[in-house]
Amino acid sequence: MALIQIIVNSLIIGSLYALVACGFSLIYSTNKFMHFAHGISVVIASYLFYLSLNTLKINFIISILLVLILTGLFGIFMYKVFYGPLQKRKSSNIVLLIASVGILILFENMIMLVFGTTVKTINSDLTKSIEFSSFIITPLQIIIIVTSLILLLLLYLLMKKTKIGRNMRAVSDNKELASIIGIDYKKVSYYSFFIGSLLAGIAGIFIALEQTLEPTIGTNLIVKGFTGSIIGGITSVPGSILGSYILGIAENFGIWYLSSGYKDAIAFTLLFLFLLFKPHGILGINKGIKK
Amino acid sequence: MIENYLIHILILIGIYIILAVSLNIALGYTGLLNLGHIAFFGIGAYTSAILTREGIPFILALIISCIIAGCFGFLLVWITKRLKGDYLALATLGFSFLIYSLMLNLSSITNGPLGISGISRPNIFGYFLKSNFEFLLFVIFIAIISCMIMYAIIKSPFGRLLHATRDDELGLRVLGKNTIKIKYKAMIISSLFAGLAGSLFAHYNGYIDPTSFMLNSIIFIFTIVIVGGIASFKGSIIATFILFIIPELLRFFAIPSHVLGPTRQIIYALILIGILLFKPKGLFGRIDLE
Repeated sequence: MALIQIIVNSLIIGSLYALVACGFSLIYSTNKFMHFAHGISVVIASYLFYLSLNTLKINFIISILLVLILTGLFGIFMYKVFYGPLQKRKSSNIVLLIASVGILILFENMIMLVFGTTVKTINSDLTKSIEFSSFIITPLQIIIIVTSLILLLLLYLLMKKTKIGRNMRAVSDNKELASIIGIDYKKVSYYSFFIGSLLAGIAGIFIALEQTLEPTIGTNLIVKGFTGSIIGGITSVPGSILGSYILGIAENFGIWYLSSGYKDAIAFTLLFLFLLFKPHGILGINKGIKK
Repeated sequence: MIENYLIHILILIGIYIILAVSLNIALGYTGLLNLGHIAFFGIGAYTSAILTREGIPFILALIISCIIAGCFGFLLVWITKRLKGDYLALATLGFSFLIYSLMLNLSSITNGPLGISGISRPNIFGYFLKSNFEFLLFVIFIAIISCMIMYAIIKSPFGRLLHATRDDELGLRVLGKNTIKIKYKAMIISSLFAGLAGSLFAHYNGYIDPTSFMLNSIIFIFTIVIVGGIASFKGSIIATFILFIIPELLRFFAIPSHVLGPTRQIIYALILIGILLFKPKGLFGRIDLE
């Protein structure tokens, strides 16, 4: 396989990981707990998209908008029903993390009950491949890379230039100080869950079109998402995006040298190496991690 | 008919009591947030299945599985000794995913996603445990011995050091105790018994594949320990019975089997989230999970 094809493949998978990772990292930085159930938002989005497009025959664009709004609301729902009450009880981060794994399992199995375990696919014209001299790509994959980059840029601008973004950064920096100057951190939590889950929803739609639908893909994606976040620095949204692309590159080069079965083992080895030697990641800061 | 079924459930309960109590030693007594406990169980199961396949006697295979699982316990602490809280949890979770992906990909040894089938029933010095009833007696025997050993450990002076490591690691270090060493010992004991439970599981089931050692199972044993109560010995034992019996009640409703599996997982997840929300100390626990 040519080098350029590996790089193209890395960009595609890296974009999907980045969409998952930046939501995860956004939620972590404002709430200071690991929202492992973030992976299920991706799965919910892909199944909702399937339902809307294939079963209910709703128009493509309207389906996308509908799914994104519903997935964002699902994020708020998770916060409102599970995490909010736990935080109110002053539960430790560990309790929230274990609860989030429970939430992931809960919804994964609910999807299995509703949709069954058979693999589903969405047929689309976008997956006909275009051959260039040195690599092959589908229109969908071009859309994935371009849209992800635009969205990630928009997220960056949102964090830097808008009032919501400023409030989020303030809360992530120092929650108490932020609430003293009148920032409602509860509201910030809702916003971060909405935006984070919406980004996961975009990843879900792409995955529904690009790959097949299975209830269990959420676990794999969130593992890759947090690996990306750890590599780049979990407290930094740009860091987690960078980490995701690095992970994509490492995986694709790994597949080339070893075999495709080792893709996951490569990711976990990277996760371990970073946890061991650089737990704050490439762009992460120590603050907020050390107790 | 009903006896066979009861024996089957009791064998699994016996195996999971060893697994849950051993997790409680690391998680509850020592405060090591180990989300990778299921990996030790899997390592024990695979080691024992592979060794007996190669013709090694059962008892020897059982002992070697404990030792190998214990070695991985040592390795996990060695890798993660500097990490705390969320990061330790994630690293141990990563560890269980890593072991899972090795089980899936080292096909020449583990037979990949197909798993290993036809694992022989235990043969103890020439005596073959053919019937499930004999196997049950063997499991009860092993479970009682294991629980007695673990109980003796946590009631010993060393057990008090475990409590102290969890409650005030810095304070203990000030008193001149090497807390890292204590963590190593606790994790090795914990993983050793998980390996033992894994070996029993493999030889009872006769078939293992990587999916038995994934996230669903992690949640199950965590639910047992949290429902029973952190650092509560009898809690873990009683909770194992409760959590095995609750989904069995579903069988009275003639639910088809493809619905039963997910429903059982949903019940466990709801119990876990519910107990964290409303009674985080569990049934018999005295301390919070931190």
